[in-house]
Amino acid sequence: MSDPKIEGYEFKPGFRGMADDTGSDQTMFKGVHWGKAMMWIFLLSDTFVFSCFLISYMKGRGSTPVEWPNASEVFGLHVFGVEVPLLLIAIMTFVLITSSGTMALAVKYGYEKNRKMCGWLILATAVGGLIFVGMQAFEWSKLISEGVRPWENPFGAPQFGGFFFMITGFHGTHVSIGVIFLFIYAYKTFAGHYDERKRGWFTTMKGDYVEIEILGLYWHFVDLVWVFIFAFFYLW
Amino acid sequence: MPEDFNDNKTIQAQSSETMGGGGGAVTPDKDYVRPAEVSDQDLYHGHSFITKWVFCQDAKVIGVQYFLLATFTGIVGLILSWLMRLQLGFPELASFMTAEHYYQFVTMHGMIMVVYFLTALFLGGFGNYLIPLMCGARDMVFPYVNMISFWMFFVAVGVLMASFFVPGGPTGSGWTLYPPQAILEGTPGSGMGIILMLVSLALFVIGFTMGGLNYLITVLQARTRGMTLMRMPLTVWGIFTATVLAMLAFPALLVSAIMMTLDKILGTSFFMPTILQAGEVLDYSGGSPILFQHLFWFFGHPEVYIVALPAFGIVSDLISVHSRKNIFGYRMMVWAIVGIGALSFFVWAHHMYVSGMNPWFGFFFATTTLIIAVPTAMKVYNWILTLWRGNIRINTVMLWCLGFIVTFVNGGITGIFLGNVTVDVPLSDTYFVIAHFHMVMGIAPLMVIMGAVYHWFPLVAGRMLSEKLGKWHFWFTFLGAYSIYFPMHYLGFIGVPRRYFEMYDSPYITSAVGMNEFISTAAFIVGAAQFILIYNIIVSLKMGKPAGKNPWKANSLEWHTSTVPPEHGNFGDKLPVVHRWPYDFSVPGAKEDFIPQTTPPSEVIHTKIEKT
Amino acid sequence: MDETNKKEQTTTHKIGIYLWIWGLLFVLSFFSYMVDWYQFQGMLRWSLILIFMFLKAGLIMAFFMHLFWERYALVNVLLWPMTAIGCFIFLMAAEFKYTLFTRIFYFFIGGG
Repeated sequence: MSDPKIEGYEFKPGFRGMADDTGSDQTMFKGVHWGKAMMWIFLLSDTFVFSCFLISYMKGRGSTPVEWPNASEVFGLHVFGVEVPLLLIAIMTFVLITSSGTMALAVKYGYEKNRKMCGWLILATAVGGLIFVGMQAFEWSKLISEGVRPWENPFGAPQFGGFFFMITGFHGTHVSIGVIFLFIYAYKTFAGHYDERKRGWFTTMKGDYVEIEILGLYWHFVDLVWVFIFAFFYLW
Repeated sequence: MPEDFNDNKTIQAQSSETMGGGGGAVTPDKDYVRPAEVSDQDLYHGHSFITKWVFCQDAKVIGVQYFLLATFTGIVGLILSWLMRLQLGFPELASFMTAEHYYQFVTMHGMIMVVYFLTALFLGGFGNYLIPLMCGARDMVFPYVNMISFWMFFVAVGVLMASFFVPGGPTGSGWTLYPPQAILEGTPGSGMGIILMLVSLALFVIGFTMGGLNYLITVLQARTRGMTLMRMPLTVWGIFTATVLAMLAFPALLVSAIMMTLDKILGTSFFMPTILQAGEVLDYSGGSPILFQHLFWFFGHPEVYIVALPAFGIVSDLISVHSRKNIFGYRMMVWAIVGIGALSFFVWAHHMYVSGMNPWFGFFFATTTLIIAVPTAMKVYNWILTLWRGNIRINTVMLWCLGFIVTFVNGGITGIFLGNVTVDVPLSDTYFVIAHFHMVMGIAPLMVIMGAVYHWFPLVAGRMLSEKLGKWHFWFTFLGAYSIYFPMHYLGFIGVPRRYFEMYDSPYITSAVGMNEFISTAAFIVGAAQFILIYNIIVSLKMGKPAGKNPWKANSLEWHTSTVPPEHGNFGDKLPVVHRWPYDFSVPGAKEDFIPQTTPPSEVIHTKIEKT
Repeated sequence: MDETNKKEQTTTHKIGIYLWIWGLLFVLSFFSYMVDWYQFQGMLRWSLILIFMFLKAGLIMAFFMHLFWERYALVNVLLWPMTAIGCFIFLMAAEFKYTLFTRIFYFFIGGG
């Protein structure tokens, strides 16, 4: 999407443009819907939450003299007689990245006012999210059955379980909330709320496909957090 | 030269901000302002009592709700401080109080005052009321979420107050809630008390995230035509920057609260090392108490700036209006606020010099702490330079501003002492620290709050507060607060420790007994004097002099609404158009000594400049 | 708030770009997984993990979250606060090393 057209305002690129935008009246983020700006700032705040969780994990893991459990074994799956390290996690990563892709496509079709494609892609994203949460729940139950608890585990340092359940729990909660909103927005899309510009219940603003983009930002954030959790918790 | 003063030409007000609307507009019409980028906001108007006064989406109503609830918690905090001072000054009268009670009062007083009173008051109270008005917006961008944010705060306060009534009482771990003691027996409230405190904090953070998003996006994306960031009053800059800090610092508090709750409930060992409790080895192992301290202070230091920055912003505006002079160095004041806000994330461990953290950290944090003192001091110089040769009105508002400058300089200087590692070692955990933070966070911002109340009450209520009662209120508070906290510095020097229930007949502290009695007496008097304000407000609501429009002859947009008090939607049918900054006071050549922000250059009434 | 901009922008990207980015993300995830499959250790492992992680994060933020095309004001406002996180990470790394040192020194070696 190229720079939006605003009457009486000349866009400049790069830092020059940033200085002009910041120094201009009315808005700092030109052409950006207030809801989109709000979601971005919320995501910045949420980034700090997950960063603090991961920093605490780094500090906790780094300062314990006890051996940390080997992630590739703990999270491995035994399939067809072969021990495959991190198989479940690899599939979960694939599912979440795919759902991110379908979400990005949904945003594109939404702006093109292609109601059907947009709605189906949002549903596909929601299904991807559900699969992810299901697999996460399966992983949790597998580990719990093997004796991993928040306060102890048979594989290594006792804090492993606490960090694992807390971090993946918070991430999973964010995914679940996203899935709920995805189903709601899929319904709204199919029902034509964004084409008819039907007023929202919370905001009383007229419905607009920008809401799909805003939800998309949230969903990509959830995927982004998973990239970091995958790298720091499962791989490191 | 006489021909320089041409009576027929309109004059240029001295601000450089009077041309166009910024970025790209090139036109010879000096009254030109860019057209609106976004169409006008549709507001939800409540029709029942519930939707108009309880679950109201009008930011002004929400602001008053925050103000009232925060004041209520502040009064609870005040009563707790009386109980503490009773024990410290006159222990024989406080025989009903055990040591456990005392520590619970200390903890709840601290947490209430810092978080539930000051933060809620500045951001939720002043922020909600003033931001839309000063930016020329009709309301916040997301009024529904703004409304929910207040009720989240309400629930958070309810949970916090509930901790007084649970078995074991509220937590007595100090407002800093340090583990491992906070969740172990021996610390009061280590059962339900600490859990409710942590839950309350989590609810507070969630609520203030919702509110904070509103404040930020309204300032960034919903200003009126002609309102650039550099034409906003410093009040908005202060509250805005504080909100940025809140959005980025509260996550650390949330994370630490969650982890401590899990340590308590599930027996995880995030903060809990291998530990003995009354001879019995507990199940914890491997945790790190210092991790909590880092997380807490990563939040805690920006938190104190969340309290201070709105005060800086508001006092700049109050001084400017009441000395009829533009704020000296407006741009640098803005950059100082932004700079202090940014730097505040890099100084946190100056609260941890004696904690046993990595010894090399002292170098880093002492350096950054001294750096952050520079923009802060610069702001003090600019306030004084604003007053210099100004047309100063010594009214109640101005008295509070002057009181702020004096107490803030006092508290700021003692901060330099504490910011240096070696000087901090003997002073840490003594009354010197208590004196320091009460001066900078308690007294100075409180002076600004009082000044702001006297300043904006005419707008909110349509009536003036009594000047006479206001001056009594000021002198009692200012002299009394100094009597409380100035002597405390000496108590700190001689080594009197903080968070001690009593001094246990230690011989070297007998000299402090008389001082403690004096401080306590002053505290009771000052606390009681606050009820002068409450009486003033209640009486003036009905019988105060009607304020009319813009009684202080100020320039910023909140004084130029369609009605006084402002109605829902603030500005009537047409949003204001801004042509200048809010500090055009005593402009040479202008007939009036103020030029409101909405006055276009072509409408400025000039007068013959007299040569002196 | 009826916030439609005065002129609606409707230019969108072609579907190809989404498939390219999705493919790249898949490839990078595969490489990250290979780091574990081949059991690289030490500095090689950690640097590869970090490189692939930042590349994936960058792709998601730049293209799926559209930051590549957004104006600089938004991008800078979002990215500069991460320096505070960077400082926190750096200092907490120093802290965990110090904590580990004190534990080994006082509990295992017997202290000084």
